[in-house]
Amino acid sequence: MSGDTDRRAFVLGFVAATFAAALRPGAAEAAGGAIKDQPWAVWDKNDKPVRGGYFRVAAEQYIGKMNPNHWPVNDWVSMGYFHERLMFNDGQYKPTVPWLAESVKFEDPKTVLMRLREGVTFHDGSAFDAASIKYQMEWIKDAKNQAWTLGMMAPLESIEIVDPLTLRWKFKQPWAAFNGVMTNVPGYALSAKALQADGDKYDIDPKGTGPYLLEEASPGNYLKLKRNPNWWFAKASGHPDMPYFDGIHVSVIPDPAVRLANLRAGKIDALTLEKSQYAAVRNDPNLNIYRFPGNHTAGLRFNTTKGVFQDIRLRKAVSHAIDRRALIAGTQFGLARIASCIFPGDHWCHNPELKPVAFDPDLSKKLLAEAGHANGLTVKGYYPNTAIGQTVAEAVRNMLGKVGITWQVDLLAPAQSATRMREADYDLATGGWTWVFDPDPTATGLYHPGGGFNFGRSKNDQVIALVEAGRQEIDLEKRKQIYWQMEKVLYDAYEDAWLWWDETVVAYRKQVQGWKNEGFMKYRDAWFWAHPLWFKDGKQ
Amino acid sequence: MGRFIGVRLLHALVILALVTVLVFIIAQLMPGDGVLAAMAGSIDMSDASAVERVRKQYGLDQPILVQFGDWLARFVTGDWGTSIGGGEKVYDMFMRRLSPTLELFLGATIWSIGIGIPAGIIGALKRNSAVDVALTTGTMIGVSIPAFWEAIMLIYLLAVIFPILPPSGYVPFFEDPWLNIKSMLLPTFVLGTHSAGLLARYVRSSLLEVLGQDYIRTARAKGFSERAVIVLHALKPAMIPVVTVIGLAWAHMLGGAFFVEVIFAIPGLGRMSVDAIFQKDFPVMQATLIAVTLNVLLVNLLVDILYGYLDPRIRVRR
Repeated sequence: MSGDTDRRAFVLGFVAATFAAALRPGAAEAAGGAIKDQPWAVWDKNDKPVRGGYFRVAAEQYIGKMNPNHWPVNDWVSMGYFHERLMFNDGQYKPTVPWLAESVKFEDPKTVLMRLREGVTFHDGSAFDAASIKYQMEWIKDAKNQAWTLGMMAPLESIEIVDPLTLRWKFKQPWAAFNGVMTNVPGYALSAKALQADGDKYDIDPKGTGPYLLEEASPGNYLKLKRNPNWWFAKASGHPDMPYFDGIHVSVIPDPAVRLANLRAGKIDALTLEKSQYAAVRNDPNLNIYRFPGNHTAGLRFNTTKGVFQDIRLRKAVSHAIDRRALIAGTQFGLARIASCIFPGDHWCHNPELKPVAFDPDLSKKLLAEAGHANGLTVKGYYPNTAIGQTVAEAVRNMLGKVGITWQVDLLAPAQSATRMREADYDLATGGWTWVFDPDPTATGLYHPGGGFNFGRSKNDQVIALVEAGRQEIDLEKRKQIYWQMEKVLYDAYEDAWLWWDETVVAYRKQVQGWKNEGFMKYRDAWFWAHPLWFKDGKQ
Repeated sequence: MGRFIGVRLLHALVILALVTVLVFIIAQLMPGDGVLAAMAGSIDMSDASAVERVRKQYGLDQPILVQFGDWLARFVTGDWGTSIGGGEKVYDMFMRRLSPTLELFLGATIWSIGIGIPAGIIGALKRNSAVDVALTTGTMIGVSIPAFWEAIMLIYLLAVIFPILPPSGYVPFFEDPWLNIKSMLLPTFVLGTHSAGLLARYVRSSLLEVLGQDYIRTARAKGFSERAVIVLHALKPAMIPVVTVIGLAWAHMLGGAFFVEVIFAIPGLGRMSVDAIFQKDFPVMQATLIAVTLNVLLVNLLVDILYGYLDPRIRVRR
């Protein structure tokens, strides 16, 4: 995926958590147990949360449709308030934390036994149980319901109800990404009763199990949510007052400078900052600012199947010509880490032995000469026409220019970029991936012939074989080794020029209590949802 | 006059039909894959078939002529299709967003007339004085200042440093009239500033020209007071070019409205139409461009009618 990193980072990025202890090496299962006993659910004894107030946030776009399986969804943050997922990823983005599912166990590579939590109800009062999940998955798989997620569920053959809270999932082939898919969109639990009654109405009247219910929607303007007094997690965790806010007000504010003005004026309570805004607010006495690694790899994509970049020497020449440190300092305001490959540095599938490609313009010139381009090379491509996109493109163009590579880069709107990508009409273009959770979508999307971002531009047989192997291997340790190997092959082949891994900055008004960077960094999503924020004294 | 209006309305209908076809052709000629672009920015794209499913959902897998025929048949019955980018019914979107934009236009026009006409009159009457220089400078600033910069500066000044007004947002008038007025003060001012500057320049030069006419000298010679000369004899004919400017400004306000609506987070038509163009959201593009065309045609018609009122010679010639 590309694009809206910061926006989704705010809450959806809180995907994840724990169970490192419970996860036996080699076992692709997520063991459950009482919520109170989970490390990600432990509370600091000094914290005394109180109820009250409406938490006000801003979104760049209105949510769109509120059934996550119906496109478009423009605001996944709010989606997370209505709907909860069966599974979460842990701090390393490994899909091992059962949330609405209590436990998940692979009986064999083609069969999974899933136990659901007891005592969970949907916002319409219907029960969350095996029958509701079975109905939902069959609803997604029925083409007439136009779920864009249908393809994600393609490996599913059938679901059997073992008992009211237990399901047996059967697959057509080994499906290693199953847990990952359950942390993704198909894993959002939707009320079967509501879907049955009117699937289209669900788009504007969602019925999930989440901590907030839809109170009022003003498309294009705002979304108002109210507290779910029957949120199962409050009871299960022994914190009956959860969630602590009376509601949430999501205002649509497209302009980042105006979002910041709203935060500084006290009109909103939290904001994911643009990187350029960080310096302006870092010492603001009214705000608490937190920085943490994001889950986005930025890079440049080579067309390795046609044109000059079929020659690895020229791909190397480009990659070594880029001063990544300077690029991060100059275009990302220092808020990023140098990337060495496609999976982020803190992702369980990132090969830690890979070091960032060295900045070596002399080597680039030598490689160009060896490839017969001593007098210079001209390549074409595109980059997003956003303000930051223009800055990055210009910086890279200059760096390449210094070694004799002329990058004729077109700055394009998303629709135009998409066409160029689909037609593989470029030598070097914007690349990377936003939201790297289960490794398969990223690996497939970029490097497999069937991937939604490939379109024939990359065809590395070794990588393709590893991608396919990774889909089948349910043993997490072995699967990790496959992706480490895949990264090594990509790295050695200079398949792309990876630039940086993002860093996210969020700002909260001092009145907002409860955020702890350490807890979030360790357990991500599971910690976030298990530790709802509150207002000091319960007042905005 | 009735026949004149009838003929102009007929012209408007022909132009509207042409615009409808042209917009469709241009939309098809525009490079880009809106569905893929929007999905790529929003969801997991490992599965390329997801894009095809959404194309099918919106009928975009059909031949172009079939798409156009379908769209037209539905459009005339009030079904304007579904937005590709937002997933809403276009008619509902349009109607909901019409009111904030109209309010914005109306407010901006009030600012524009309220500042521009008095400034122009004072400038003309106090020609070459310090007041005239100050007003001319002010109007030049009004014309040349970029709207987005002005908006951000005003937000920081009046919402952050001196928190008098809300920084952004829209509240319908009937929901909370006072908050509505407060939230619309800045956006309408920003949108109105540019045309106010332009208007002041036109009023000034037009009034100066009229004040140099023989009949004004005659009126003065007859002993009319200066106030009577200006109000009764000079102002009305001086308003003819001014009406043109107001009409043009109104027609071009949608361009300015885009910036203003984005910056002030107003869910109006300007923001919707430009988003639609970037996203290649054909149903929304088509509906909004037709609305823009209608807006221009109707304003032109109104300007023509006002010409007749302001200058009887025009009415008689017709």
